[in-house]
Amino acid sequence: MVAAAAASVASQAQAVLRGRLCDPGFVHSALRSSPDTNYSKLKYLVASSVSEACNNSVLLLGPRGCGKAAVVDMVLEDLKKEHPDAISVIRLNGMLHSDDNCATKEIARQLCLEHQLSFSKMASSDDNTEFIIDMLRECGLAHKTILFILEEFDLFAQGKQRLLYSLLDAMQSLTSQAVVIGVSCRLDADQLLEKRVRSRFSHRKLLFVPSSLEDTQRLVEHLLILAKDSGLPAKYITDYNSRLTNIFSDKKFKGILNSLMDADATTSNILRFLFRAVSYMDMESGFLSMESFLKALSSLQRQPKMDSLQDLSILELYILVCMHRLEDKEQSSYNFTSIMKEYRSIQDAYKTSDKYASTVCFRAFEHLLDRELISFGDNRGRNQALEYRPVKLLISSRELAQSLKLNTTCPALLQKLFDRERYM
Amino acid sequence: MSQPVTPRRTTRSSAGSVSDPASPSKSRPKSTPRRQLIPAAAKEEGEDERSSINVLLEALPGRRAQASDLLRLLAPAPALPLLLYGGAATGKTRALLLALRHIRPRPQRVAYAALRSLPSPRALFASLLSQLSPPPSSSASSRQRVPDKPSDFVAALRDALAGLCAQGEAVYLVFDNLEVVRSWEKGGQLLALILRLHDLLRLPQVVLVYVSSATPDAYYSMTGSVEPNHIYFPDYTVDEVRDILIRGHPNPKLYASFLSVALTPLFRVTRRVDELGAALEPLFRRYCEPLGDLEAVPDESIKRRLFEHIQPHLAVALNETFSVPMRASVDQFKDGNSGGKASTKRQFGSRDSLSTELEFHMSVSAKYLLLSAFLASRNPATLDAALFDSTGGSDNHRRKRKSSQASMNMKDTMVEEMLMKGPGTFPLERLLAIFQCITSVSEDALNDVECPDSMMNGSGMTGLMSDVLLQLSTLCNSNFLSKSRSCPLEGSARYRSNIDEDLALKVARSVSFPLSKYIYRR
Repeated sequence: MVAAAAASVASQAQAVLRGRLCDPGFVHSALRSSPDTNYSKLKYLVASSVSEACNNSVLLLGPRGCGKAAVVDMVLEDLKKEHPDAISVIRLNGMLHSDDNCATKEIARQLCLEHQLSFSKMASSDDNTEFIIDMLRECGLAHKTILFILEEFDLFAQGKQRLLYSLLDAMQSLTSQAVVIGVSCRLDADQLLEKRVRSRFSHRKLLFVPSSLEDTQRLVEHLLILAKDSGLPAKYITDYNSRLTNIFSDKKFKGILNSLMDADATTSNILRFLFRAVSYMDMESGFLSMESFLKALSSLQRQPKMDSLQDLSILELYILVCMHRLEDKEQSSYNFTSIMKEYRSIQDAYKTSDKYASTVCFRAFEHLLDRELISFGDNRGRNQALEYRPVKLLISSRELAQSLKLNTTCPALLQKLFDRERYM
Repeated sequence: MSQPVTPRRTTRSSAGSVSDPASPSKSRPKSTPRRQLIPAAAKEEGEDERSSINVLLEALPGRRAQASDLLRLLAPAPALPLLLYGGAATGKTRALLLALRHIRPRPQRVAYAALRSLPSPRALFASLLSQLSPPPSSSASSRQRVPDKPSDFVAALRDALAGLCAQGEAVYLVFDNLEVVRSWEKGGQLLALILRLHDLLRLPQVVLVYVSSATPDAYYSMTGSVEPNHIYFPDYTVDEVRDILIRGHPNPKLYASFLSVALTPLFRVTRRVDELGAALEPLFRRYCEPLGDLEAVPDESIKRRLFEHIQPHLAVALNETFSVPMRASVDQFKDGNSGGKASTKRQFGSRDSLSTELEFHMSVSAKYLLLSAFLASRNPATLDAALFDSTGGSDNHRRKRKSSQASMNMKDTMVEEMLMKGPGTFPLERLLAIFQCITSVSEDALNDVECPDSMMNGSGMTGLMSDVLLQLSTLCNSNFLSKSRSCPLEGSARYRSNIDEDLALKVARSVSFPLSKYIYRR
């Protein structure tokens, strides 16, 4: 009975933690309190344009998973609280609305929704553009700022950039009052703009970089330490937190964080790691342990190529080794028939039991293609038979050597065939 | 209310139908033997949590680690996207669909889209939206326009999901066979859209699950701000395969002794359970042949006897990828109990007396046409005159070979080129010329079978020509020959033979044509 109660408390705690990790607002909420962050810069910029009734534009650049969109969301949330009637937000995504007609339609739709107007699906693109310009003027006269959030900004810069031009051009007039916030993971997104667009763009850029080790440690603590008022038994919370602080001060944990950040230091990667660790929480004891962190790290550090090399049958390994031998002979290109020739010559020379008919070998060859360990060398010749299309290896000789060494069922001959020609 | 999810492959095909995504009665007949290897899980509707997890692990042999990972990562509801990857026939879809039935709290809504059976973005959008729209209004929604633009789709999907999430329900969206999208037209865009749905929807109660046989490296450049968590499904080990195959077998002892003989050699060739199952089934029938009683538990002496019985069959099975059921069994065939066209065929033991040869249901002239196409593809056109001289090919051929011998180096590169280029193409005229030559060489063989009036030299020429053209198109349709693009200079269509030398030799033997004399070897 006690154990069941403990388990239910633990699963409650797990649910709380998972909810936190999946909520970008909570993840980045620590930024609110600290000065001189991108959050405060963006907030100052947008807030001053709203209060001074001027036009502005800014680009948020940085790799994926660094919290650009989350910062925008937080700023918008704050501004909506401070100026409830003075802003309206239009959100576009480059993946969905990179087409100009589609984008103007979407802007018109959102403007209508925002101002309780009825939106006509049948309106033409020209009507919509006109409507947008009218709305910009009207809003400017009413001292209401329209915020355009353009996610995946680089995709809007494809093609004629008519949308960007008409938006930024409309903002040149004194009557309008709008802010364009572009979000992109391409650091050269502003270089993609045409001259006429670039000259109308205020070259304000906020750069987002992956966080440092100290910041990450602070983030992990912020995410995992349970607050007193989270609705769980007070004793559980103190126990949980004290165990967690012990883990955090452990040298091993610092090592885990280091190796994690060596690979990828973005916030999303940290979140993914923590999510796994929390999911691996030991339900019997109900606390996070070092094992869960270690397990989460090892699951993030898998090498898919090596894994699928371990899954190969002996015949498939033979074919890979044959291909590797052909490559070592500096044959410029080869196909299945030349692989079979090599395979036959090996089988004739060593008289192994692994001599199979060519249809069986071809099936193994197709398995390798399926696993994407090999691929066809060219995209031409679609009508040519598969046996004659040139192929290439997609693995390095080091990977192949390692997998042969790790494979316990691999015949010694195969190892020898692989090694022999390396030293010759 | 809950979406019925069957853990069988049938769900994949039925999910493609827009009207009713999972009607078991309709999809049952489509089930493949591959899934029948694994007995369907027992019904476990009203059981408690602990035992239901045990049932899950029981239903997924060899997938303990993956199943427990799935249960932990899928529920409770706010969860990061998940990517299941691993080779074909490793139980990804099955494990996922079974786990979705076992997680607590039970998911109220699961939308499953197998991209292999939804060949266009529009079909995908339609399938997902119809699975998410509430049942009573399904008739109304079918009249609605299916969105074909991604922006309309995401808006519609968000509307549908927001309604469900407002009721506090967790919704699982499953995208199966993700790897096929890459080869679609504009597949990259659709794939990016699917992988970034988490960013686009911004609904924490929606859990996205992707299933792919391609490794995660294929998707790195397309993911949004949140990369999915990965679960790797490795191929089964030999012990796991044995467990899977024995499960649900009527006589496990006998089958185990059979597997101890047959599985290890076959496992060296392929590790896929579906292929192993298909190869082992006919072998087991052979294995049981000497036994009178299939229920008997074999002892050591019987095992040894059965082993000796199966040994030659095993060697044959290792070299086959599939076996074709014969119309007449081999024994009948040997007794001479064959009629009709089979008179021209002989049982020719190439590798093994046990090997069952393919029967060619093909007219003799089609066989000759096939052979001449093979020769036209393999031999250089310049040698045709020497090979098919009216004075008899073989003598000339030998002389020609000697004169064409070049230096070893030259020869090697020629062979290499030949291997790389594959069979050559030829115009129709050349094919017909060779056809005439080789039919005239073995005239006697033809005269036995073919009607004399159509084969008369001179008078029946036009009849023969039209007949041959008909045969040619038949051969093209059955993919023995392929029509390649026309030559830019001549403007006429060129052909290429797709058959390999083994098959050509078999065909030649069936009409007793000395093919090897005519093949030009360097």
